[in-house]
Amino acid sequence: MSTLVLGLGNAILSDDGVGIRVAEAVRARLPEDAGVEVREVCIGGLRLMEEMIGYDHVILIDSYLSPGGKPGDFRRLTLDDLRSVTPTEHSFSPHDASLTVAYDMGLRMGLPLPETVSIYAIEATNVTDFSEQLTPEVEQAVERVTEAVLDELAETAARAPKPGINAP
Amino acid sequence: MRKISIDPITRLEGHGKIDIFLDDEGDVANAYFIVPELRGFEQFCVGRPAEEMPRITTRICGVCPEAHHMAAAKALDALFHVEPTPVAHKVRELFYMAFFVTDHTTHFYALGGPDFILGPDARPAERNILGVIHKVGLDVGKQVIDTRMRNHHVIRKMGGRGVHPVAAMPGGWSKPITEEDRAEFEEIARKNVDFALFSLKVFNDVVLGNPAYLEMVLSDSYTDRTYSMGLVDEKNRVNFYDGQVRVVDPDGEEFVKYHPVEYTSHIEEHVEPWTYLKFPYLKAVGWKGFVAGKDSGVYIATPLSRLNVSDGMATPLAQEAFEKMYDTFGQGKTPSGRNRPVHHRLATHWARLIELLYASERMLELATDPEITDPNVRAPVTETPDEGVGCVEAPRGTLTHHYWTDEKGILTRVNLIVGTTNNYAPMAMSVKKAASSFIKKGNVSNGILNRVEMAFRSYDPCFGCATHSLPGQMPLEIVIRNPKGEVIERLSQNVA
Repeated sequence: MSTLVLGLGNAILSDDGVGIRVAEAVRARLPEDAGVEVREVCIGGLRLMEEMIGYDHVILIDSYLSPGGKPGDFRRLTLDDLRSVTPTEHSFSPHDASLTVAYDMGLRMGLPLPETVSIYAIEATNVTDFSEQLTPEVEQAVERVTEAVLDELAETAARAPKPGINAP
Repeated sequence: MRKISIDPITRLEGHGKIDIFLDDEGDVANAYFIVPELRGFEQFCVGRPAEEMPRITTRICGVCPEAHHMAAAKALDALFHVEPTPVAHKVRELFYMAFFVTDHTTHFYALGGPDFILGPDARPAERNILGVIHKVGLDVGKQVIDTRMRNHHVIRKMGGRGVHPVAAMPGGWSKPITEEDRAEFEEIARKNVDFALFSLKVFNDVVLGNPAYLEMVLSDSYTDRTYSMGLVDEKNRVNFYDGQVRVVDPDGEEFVKYHPVEYTSHIEEHVEPWTYLKFPYLKAVGWKGFVAGKDSGVYIATPLSRLNVSDGMATPLAQEAFEKMYDTFGQGKTPSGRNRPVHHRLATHWARLIELLYASERMLELATDPEITDPNVRAPVTETPDEGVGCVEAPRGTLTHHYWTDEKGILTRVNLIVGTTNNYAPMAMSVKKAASSFIKKGNVSNGILNRVEMAFRSYDPCFGCATHSLPGQMPLEIVIRNPKGEVIERLSQNVA
């Protein structure tokens, strides 16, 4: 069982960096022998899919803006949820495919993609001002999301035949 | 007056919004392409050491961090008055060609190509790279992914990191290329050349071989006669890494050629009340509004404009492809013997593939250059910094970084003109033109929406600036409003 935690976002664009912050916090609290890889990246679509190749279980952490969302709230989503949140396969992204299209494409091509993809989506407020600070509500969410991610990692490890030995 | 908004429901990497106002007859009165601005970048940079800029500016944009990395490195060369060693330039350029290959490949197969391979009226749910694979075969998808991954491997190996490279520095590059790496890069470049030739063949068969598509490319709906801009080498050939900025007029004659450091003498920016982003234009011609022609300072900076300003390509196979494109459009020659420019915006997709071939061939040239493994990849910095301009061609247009520092190298001012910004005015014009062609007497449908999107998709615009808030895509919605602003009809691309 190989597990990858990916913090997504821009570390210098206010709340857009919340995924990066959570990933850093997860790394700091994971035992060294946890065998979980943690990375911070600023990518989407095809590149994100390519990053997940070869892992059984991937956890994505990213900021989210939903109509009427409360800043700092977070949800755990699956790829199927992502399809229903934006129920289109059409990518308007100016330069790439959507994650779900990229993932489906990878599966069609027989790439070894994770069976389980968990997405922690954190409601953001400000993703347009350059700053290394999160807004207060989103800052407070970092600890809660970190706990949730660590819980999921612990559950995954408990289910694995040899807990803790799951490096790729 | 009726208002149609093509509006993002949720956030995306680089979201825009199109407001289309109809007149009483139901025809397009005006169209506004509105881009939200990311704020405070200059303030974020001021007070930091200038040498951090190649790493900070890669964070501006999640799509082309390598372009910012390179422009920043060149601005630092100028700022610190240091000339990189010959091999340093070559190493940087090799890295940059690998980036161009991935970037142009992605645009053609994931974004621009589906309009042709699946057709402009394909359902939104199919109009993506999955649909391309379905239509052309799994092997194409495999080649696209292989091309991206082998060039990302080069970027990671040379740049020190996968996504946000860290290797460029004033005076050169932080690590030399070993013989083992060189041999690997050579092999990768050869595969890139094959893939680029294959892609041009796909374009030839699918687009040029289809009279309906060719008619669409040539139609007035997707044509604007503006000035063209791009970097050229000493023989006026396309160059992505270095050179002088050349501008040709809509008839194809050279209008001006200048060193990038002189950009403020040639480019000014127009401000409109309905958007934060500014509209660069040619100072000597002047801002005459969102109009084409020789009297309007609007210019494009795209793969098509780069070919329009150049007298040819610096590599043999790309030169053949270049000649074929200009012969096909049959615009003839100017009195001075230059190709007349191609103004059909959808031809930008063709130009992009010619550039893909050039980048691949140039990468191969550099990977087989006997000097490329020279360990002397960095010239020492000894001078006091003050001010510097760095300029490269980003995949989506001429990219300029301009830094000012105190004598300790602490930034006091920063100015950037990013690739997409150059094209803001022509994109707004293209959107209006396509909307005017396809929306008549109030008749609006999803098919029309895609035709409008195609107008700006050819520019490969990027307003992303590294924001990747979920869900990572932007569904569109058309809102039709009555003169009071009340919603009377709602159409969406999501209704697949």
